Amino acid sequence: MNALLQVLLDGLLTGASYSLMAAGLALILGVVKIVNLSHGAFFTLGAYVAYVLHQRGVENPAAAVLLAAAVAFAFGVFLGKSFINPVRSHPFSVAVGTLGAALLFEQVAQLAWGPHPLSIDGGRALVLLPGVTVRAWGLISLAASAALLGGLSLLLSSRFGLPLKLIAEDEEVAGSVGMDVAKIRYLTFGAASAVAAVAGVLLAPTGAITPTMGRVPLILSLIVVIASGMERIWTIFLLGVGLGLFSNLCAYLLGPEWSYILLLAAISVLMILRPEGLVAILPARDYR
Amino acid sequence: MFPGGRTTGALGAASGILLLLPLLGLDPFLLDVLTVGFLLAVFAGSWDLVGGVAGQISLGHALFFGSATYACAILTSLYRWPFPAAAAVALLFSGAVGAAAGALASRLRGPFVALFTLALGELAHEVALGQAFFSPKEGYSWGGEGGIPVSLPWVEASPWAGYYAALLFLVLSAFAMLRIARSRQGLLWTAIAGSELNAQASGVDVVRHKRRAFLASALFAGAAGVGFAAHVGRATAADFSIELSFQAATCAAIGGRGTVAGPVLAALLLHALFQGAGLPPATRVLLYAAALLATLRFFPRGVAGTLRERARSRKMVS
Amino acid sequence: MAGLLRVEDIRKSFGPTRVLVGVTFDVGAREVVGLFGPNGSGKTTLANIVSGLVPPDGGRILFDGRDITPLPMDARYRAGVARTFQIPDPYPSLTVVESIRVALLCGRESCRKRFGMKDSSPEPAPTRWEEELESILVRTGLFAQRFWPAAKLSQGCLRRLEFARAISCRPRLVILDEVFSALSAKDESELALLMRSLHRKEGISFLLVSHNPLILEELCDRVVAIEDGCVIWEGTPKDLAKHVPAANHAHDSG
Repeated sequence: MNALLQVLLDGLLTGASYSLMAAGLALILGVVKIVNLSHGAFFTLGAYVAYVLHQRGVENPAAAVLLAAAVAFAFGVFLGKSFINPVRSHPFSVAVGTLGAALLFEQVAQLAWGPHPLSIDGGRALVLLPGVTVRAWGLISLAASAALLGGLSLLLSSRFGLPLKLIAEDEEVAGSVGMDVAKIRYLTFGAASAVAAVAGVLLAPTGAITPTMGRVPLILSLIVVIASGMERIWTIFLLGVGLGLFSNLCAYLLGPEWSYILLLAAISVLMILRPEGLVAILPARDYR
Repeated sequence: MFPGGRTTGALGAASGILLLLPLLGLDPFLLDVLTVGFLLAVFAGSWDLVGGVAGQISLGHALFFGSATYACAILTSLYRWPFPAAAAVALLFSGAVGAAAGALASRLRGPFVALFTLALGELAHEVALGQAFFSPKEGYSWGGEGGIPVSLPWVEASPWAGYYAALLFLVLSAFAMLRIARSRQGLLWTAIAGSELNAQASGVDVVRHKRRAFLASALFAGAAGVGFAAHVGRATAADFSIELSFQAATCAAIGGRGTVAGPVLAALLLHALFQGAGLPPATRVLLYAAALLATLRFFPRGVAGTLRERARSRKMVS
Repeated sequence: MAGLLRVEDIRKSFGPTRVLVGVTFDVGAREVVGLFGPNGSGKTTLANIVSGLVPPDGGRILFDGRDITPLPMDARYRAGVARTFQIPDPYPSLTVVESIRVALLCGRESCRKRFGMKDSSPEPAPTRWEEELESILVRTGLFAQRFWPAAKLSQGCLRRLEFARAISCRPRLVILDEVFSALSAKDESELALLMRSLHRKEGISFLLVSHNPLILEELCDRVVAIEDGCVIWEGTPKDLAKHVPAANHAHDSG
């Protein structure tokens, strides 16, 4: 019983970071208007940054978060500016290109750190009940994710979020009132990538760090975004936490590989059941 | 309809050279590389039928390939079927998988087709990876990374026989796929790829023709899978991998989507180049990805696609 | 009156916005009916519903006495209801000939039988087939551009291609959605001539959707005016400006 409780607690803690990642994906979908399959790679990048810092003896999560965010932002801006922006009106180039970028990163990570799972220590365990523990890093990740998500939602509803909203609504109008739409696009892409990397840092101690670890969170956040749309950040949060719980529960009850299998099945079923719902996410002329 | 003669000529010349290559004293390793290259070229061509000609971005194309290799392996090794019967059923099975995937994916559009097929392919890959799905037989267990052996009627086939069989298969399939791409069906697929809205307003039953594209493409991919199973003698989870699907899409992008001949040649050349140089798999995927990003960024229509565009504009002027 | 098309009590909402609230009108055989309305009055939505692109929330559409409400756009095209788009969306990689051939291939079941075609048969193109194609090219004035890729056509030629696609199924009704907007005066008058000759020689009925009362006055037998999702007036074109204030404004400014 307590083991199950532990699984649910871990699911809750990880789910918050997943929803952070999903919020980043939703931001890209709304502003850049593409389905970004490289989002998971930035998650992996964050986890490896945390690993490298941990190896060097830097235990402070804040350092890892900041460094990962900076690195991912730089890569994200580079990818957004040099690749995504020029090809974003071709669905084929976007889909295959972002997948290619993700695979490219996976291979680089494999060459640099090897294919074997790595792990970092999640800090001292705090025993709540016999068999139920919570690690310092878990609490930090929950707090940080919730804070970042809240901050993001505040930022979007403030003055700074206005240009993003305008571009999401109607890019032509946004361009005609003198906004540098292209620049806002790649900056948004970079920022959303940084958010994914932060989620990767926060979740690094909870599981194995492998080159392909980003695939599960990618599928998970795609489900969140497709199911909830991009409007309300709180539905994203609730869905992220729910799916985090679900995937941890699957891993515990059926075996670790099952959480990915069931998430894939879930996204397939979701798309079959709501083919029209998906169309609403991207404007018509952009997905031809 | 399409400028045809030159493509056929180029393909004929290429196959003539390939026909003579073994006689010039190719070592068995290179012979093997080229044999696999022929099969992967058919696979890339089959991707192009649905992804290029019909414009339905399939990122789970390995699903159809792996369905065929696994069907071959399971039927011959677990059920002791003779290989030819298993091959025929495997081909039908991959066709059925293609029909089912097409029936579901044809209601989706644009990036969501990519996402859906990606999920299907990954699903098959994960299921194939799971050890528990295949029970141990005769004392040792099959499945997982190691895959399942295919029991073949021959003990050790000569590399020459394999080479020429695969070459023949490539020539026949490429010919058939080109014919399909240039038929009325291919024209309707090209129309759907260009604009679904306009196609619908022209009376094209878009969903039905998209389903057919998936079916035809899956059959060719399945045939390549059967050939692969016969050549390698083993079905592994890698047959379903996203890297394999990605490789096909990459070759199509580089060779020029919708031209069939371009993707086929690109797949053959790139495979021969990377594999012949003895690169490890990780480096190969890396190079494919890098080549893809460069192509998409700088030659959005691919090599063959750009050539065709030029031919078009010449024709327009004259 | 024995109408060719009957639109009956069509209703449509997008979310909370009610775009059409019970629209009813007829189009007779060999009749040109104008559908007038200011921007945002729901006339494009109505055109989408009649052509089958968008399903209505309620009401039905009868074509030649047959209820075609459940048919999607491609089936309606094969049944003889064709349409053009305000913003043409051509197949970028196909030439003009190929684009028209697509429409001819799928045009209508009976047309297919007439030319003895099956989808699987690879090449043979019967001569009558080619004749039909050529006649469409000539009638729409696209013969000189027949081998051009559609992506390279001018705005006027794109509209002609829309006409060519629409008449490839030998339709009985063509819905023209703002087909004369944003064109040069020369293109506009040539297209109007083309439409008139199709109407006169082939007896095609037209439903001409436009926000420009001058064009409707010139080309239509009858005008239906809608505003805020309802039919507010129906009558002869020359009375339009008298009875519909919106047409009056457009008259003054245009």
